[in-house]
Amino acid sequence: MAGITTHVLDADRGRPAPGVRIEFSMMEGGAWRLVKSVVTNADGRTDKPILPGDEARAGQYQLEFHIDAYLKTKPGVTEADIFVDNPVVRFSVSDVKQHYHVPMLCTPGNCTTYRGS
Amino acid sequence: MNRQEWDRREPDRHALTRRGLVGAGIGGAAMAVAPGALAQAGPPPASPSQPGALTTAPVVQAGLGPRLTLHAIDNFHGTPGAGMICDLSIREGDAYRPIKTVTTGANGRTAEPLLLEDALKAGHYELLMHFEDYFAKTGATLPSPNFLGLVPVRFVIRDASQRYHLPVLFTPWGYSYYRGS
Repeated sequence: MAGITTHVLDADRGRPAPGVRIEFSMMEGGAWRLVKSVVTNADGRTDKPILPGDEARAGQYQLEFHIDAYLKTKPGVTEADIFVDNPVVRFSVSDVKQHYHVPMLCTPGNCTTYRGS
Repeated sequence: MNRQEWDRREPDRHALTRRGLVGAGIGGAAMAVAPGALAQAGPPPASPSQPGALTTAPVVQAGLGPRLTLHAIDNFHGTPGAGMICDLSIREGDAYRPIKTVTTGANGRTAEPLLLEDALKAGHYELLMHFEDYFAKTGATLPSPNFLGLVPVRFVIRDASQRYHLPVLFTPWGYSYYRGS
């Protein structure tokens, strides 16, 4: 499967992070254009791929994870603990035949992303 | 192999770690010989790492005033992230206002704190890190454009009276950052 998918994990609790808003944008003519805004499901994933394989184009993409609102709902987390500011992941798709899975692992003080599978 | 035999092997095992090879200045050459390992060939030639350079953190931080410090660590090569260009900016309204551009030294740190004392203000910051430029300098074989090119690291300073340390662990395919100490 080609295209782009993601997965948001609450690494503080070792659980998926549901209800996280993700804004997906692509670079067009030197500016970021918002393509869609989605919310993670109970599994921390999106019900549909961020970008279906048949719509994949080579280019630059951006995922903005609104983890701030999510983290503030968690017991024991105060705003003073939150160091990571809604992380923005920018990446290039160079081969549209490949699948780009871009997970986000977050805690109030740390975030991690990588090309997954 | 029994325990004694294993212990006797210790020096050899240490000599064969990546850090040992890089420190001896032969890491690149040794890795380049291995088929398929081309992308991992050594640290940036322009900024050679020192043996044990990752251990040169200040021993005592207590008593230091408010500051923002950075440590870039190349988890692809197992070396400090030397020669990484970083643009620091602060959010004002909907835009980020550039503050300064810095380049990490041989130990993956900057010579001076990114922000020191009164220059450290509460706010939303972005450190734009030039990954693609960095890995191009190492000679790593990667797609063009690379998966990660210009990487925004966004974080919040909420209390300007505290020290903030920002370690960034990175490879061409991923990164992690956190509030360190």
